[in-house]
Amino acid sequence: MSTNTFDVIVIGGGVTGSGTARDCSMRGLKTLLVERHDIATGATGRNHGLLHSGARYAVSDPESARECILENRILKKIARHCIEETSGLFLSLPEDDLSYQDIFVKACGQAGIKAEVLDPKEALRLEPSANPLITGAVRVPDGAVDPFRLCASNMVDAKSHGCQVRMYTEVTGLVMEGETVTGVKVLDHLTGQPGEYYGSVIVNACGIWGHAVAGMAGIHIGMVPAKGSLLVFAHRVNDVVLNRCRRPANADILVPGDTVSVIGTTSTNIEFYDCDSLHVTPEEVNLLLGEGAKLAPVLNETRILRAYAGVRPLVSDDSDPSGRNISRGIVCLDHEVRDGVKGFVTITGGKLMTYRLMAELAADLVCRKLGHTARCMTAEVPLPGSEKGSLESISKRLWNVPTTLQKALVGRAGGSAKQIPLADDYAGSLVCECEEVSVSEVDAAIENLEVHNLLDLRRRTRVGMGTCQGELCAFRVAGRLAKAKSGAPKARADLKEFLNERWKGMYPVAWGDTLRESAYTQWVYSEILGIGEKL
Amino acid sequence: MRYDVILIGGGLSSLVCGITLQKAGKRCLMVSAGQNALHFSSGTFGLLGKLPNGKEVSEPIAAIHKLGASHPYSKIGGGKIMEYAKATPQFFADCGIELKGNRNSNMYRLTPSGTLMPCWLALKETTVFPSRKERLRGRMLIVNFAGYLDFNTDFLAEGLEKMGVSVSRIADVKLPDVEHLRQNPTEMRSVNIARVMDREENWKQFAKEVADLLQGEEYVVIPEVFGLADPMVCEWLREMIPAEILFAGTMPPSVPGIRMQMLLKRAFVYAGGTFLMGDEVLASEVSEGRARSVRTANLGAIDVEADHFVLASGHFFAKGLLSTPKAVLEPVFGLDVSYPADRNSWYDIDFFAKQNYLGFGVETDQDFHPFKDGSPVGNLYVIGAELGGCNSLFEGSGAGVAIMTAFRAAEIIMNE
Repeated sequence: MSTNTFDVIVIGGGVTGSGTARDCSMRGLKTLLVERHDIATGATGRNHGLLHSGARYAVSDPESARECILENRILKKIARHCIEETSGLFLSLPEDDLSYQDIFVKACGQAGIKAEVLDPKEALRLEPSANPLITGAVRVPDGAVDPFRLCASNMVDAKSHGCQVRMYTEVTGLVMEGETVTGVKVLDHLTGQPGEYYGSVIVNACGIWGHAVAGMAGIHIGMVPAKGSLLVFAHRVNDVVLNRCRRPANADILVPGDTVSVIGTTSTNIEFYDCDSLHVTPEEVNLLLGEGAKLAPVLNETRILRAYAGVRPLVSDDSDPSGRNISRGIVCLDHEVRDGVKGFVTITGGKLMTYRLMAELAADLVCRKLGHTARCMTAEVPLPGSEKGSLESISKRLWNVPTTLQKALVGRAGGSAKQIPLADDYAGSLVCECEEVSVSEVDAAIENLEVHNLLDLRRRTRVGMGTCQGELCAFRVAGRLAKAKSGAPKARADLKEFLNERWKGMYPVAWGDTLRESAYTQWVYSEILGIGEKL
Repeated sequence: MRYDVILIGGGLSSLVCGITLQKAGKRCLMVSAGQNALHFSSGTFGLLGKLPNGKEVSEPIAAIHKLGASHPYSKIGGGKIMEYAKATPQFFADCGIELKGNRNSNMYRLTPSGTLMPCWLALKETTVFPSRKERLRGRMLIVNFAGYLDFNTDFLAEGLEKMGVSVSRIADVKLPDVEHLRQNPTEMRSVNIARVMDREENWKQFAKEVADLLQGEEYVVIPEVFGLADPMVCEWLREMIPAEILFAGTMPPSVPGIRMQMLLKRAFVYAGGTFLMGDEVLASEVSEGRARSVRTANLGAIDVEADHFVLASGHFFAKGLLSTPKAVLEPVFGLDVSYPADRNSWYDIDFFAKQNYLGFGVETDQDFHPFKDGSPVGNLYVIGAELGGCNSLFEGSGAGVAIMTAFRAAEIIMNE
């Protein structure tokens, strides 16, 4: 086989594509992963980061609920370093019908989800930020998952199994021989060069953008782009996931993740051409804040760090046009059967935390097409970083008395932390003080994790995700990136893009302390550092 | 407790106004919450770098007539600005701060990212060029402290090479006392290094190491972390290092800015002013169009009265202005602030474009008296960043507005 020819080409560097690439390469297939931007730039990086227990779907969509609880248990084994086992509460407020709680608990039982009815007082002891007016509470095994880390771990493990990864490589067309897809035409945005790669099976794992990729093969997949907006709060106000015990609606999930909490979401149908430029509106901010404060009243007084939005890759169905009550079920399409187009598979729908199952289904279909018999191992083989021992034991093994810096590193990198030196000469210097990211962690990411710019680095290391939103670290990291990889002109352009991206999430919520911080950042970068000036 | 003048805020504007008044025999009390914009400044003063339409200005005083009527400079008037501009270098020299620059035309400072930005006056040690087209000939060495991340050598090299030099090397210097700082990863910041470099054995050692690194380069670039206690150190480095030194800025906090703040505060206190450090005005009384008294956090229930009040508590970052999703407020006196009601028009989605919210501020009359519920407050003056009518970040006029309005308010108070 030539260097441009593969068994399988996976399009899309979100968690589904990365997971599919990992699964295929673990089964011994020669695999290529192509992504037009960076990993996790679509819906993967633009959601709550909720490790569903499935309880949310128990009443409305039992099949999704069962998928969720099974995957919930699997991810807790194979992706421990990406997951916090926070547990979750489903709260009934005075305005909610308490009789729904019985229906809910019963449905959870039927789906195999442990649902424990708590006395409201006990629930408040468990999660003091919860609304003190609650009339009921049910505890379920929800959790939090870091989507960036999860996606990066899949990508890294795929590579270690021989998968080739091309980031910033956009598929511009499909290579067709009659009714068979035999490859992809690409544009490499890093070099500006077009090219072609050939594969026996092409997997379309592009989320909402899969609509357009399928269109390249003349195939129509009915999809509804549904925008969901979320707010990030500057503190971790809750330690337990908070949900409303009612039929799923707007802004009824509050998820703690690392140093922050996230409330979401809204749901608005948008046009396909809007999917690449999502802006959060003041109305959405008001809705999220108003509903969020019902779950945790302290949100009214908590600084909002930023707002962001993603697009749900929902395959349309003739039900609710709002996109809300459509099943989040997994859709795995064999286009040979469905449309008479050979060598082409679409995997879409689903949820962040069912990515592994989606990848398994897609890889199974690929293997059937290739007559390949290797079985899926991803439910048993842990991701790199989650191999052995608890995170605490990892840091104890590496360092006698771990510092907060070391704990933060292990929290992000898990077992892979041992490859990142902190003790040697300059490695431990802090780049990002909010999130305690060291020079060596940045360097390791630049070296090993397909980092091409500052935004990529943020997705790998949390640089710039903390309270200051990159105010101080961005300039430091740009300097580091200039030295280690890209040179000053590109690092300078990256820095401007990074600041604009951070601002995009800040201006919708820029009042109070967020406005203060923005004013300072604007002043530091425009006036003191002179970043906006032409050279 | 009673003073002639109470100044609220401890930044550039308040200090200039307070020193002027105190020297003229007014008994002044200054209430300062703590850090202020000087701690983050560039070591240069801008008077006007750009007109509100974005056009760059090379002769700032001559361009003042092009500003709108609500601009603080327009309220002061060109003649007075000229007079204050003339007095500025001597005023600072009397405080122990030597400035350079021709007051009629802008110079260009080297930013920490290697770009050039217009400025009006600069500290004597700061690296400035007479024009944007300045060319440097020869080779250049760029020196950093090993492991110091707040000094962007590669960006500086790129910018300076555009000016014509060839950067032969970027080298690190290791000094034991700086290495000691590095043991705690958060300690490696400009001011901490500057404190270490204030010690004679350290700056001498640094100069020696740099001299040893030089291989005939004409220029050497070093971080602006010298002379915190005594700017003469910068001169001595120039004597010991056989190449032309360019001091380049670091990430904040700013070493020259902190030195300037310390010297101005000292000048105010030496002149007899009372400086309340780390205190905050919590309540105020205004009646019949006059400010009567304030209460501070540390003085508690004591009403502090004065004939005149000067409000110089800064912009959003300094909490001189507060914002909610619907409103912008001035918290000390509850003064009228001008801003558009529609929050969408507060921002531009391009981070580097002109941001309207940075131009919000307190409304005043021609003599900088603000309004409360539509009525002027006759013995209260608002000066510096807190003023509306200009977008100082966009114009590059922050220090100029602070100094000019400080002189103006002082003059009006002294004439009363």
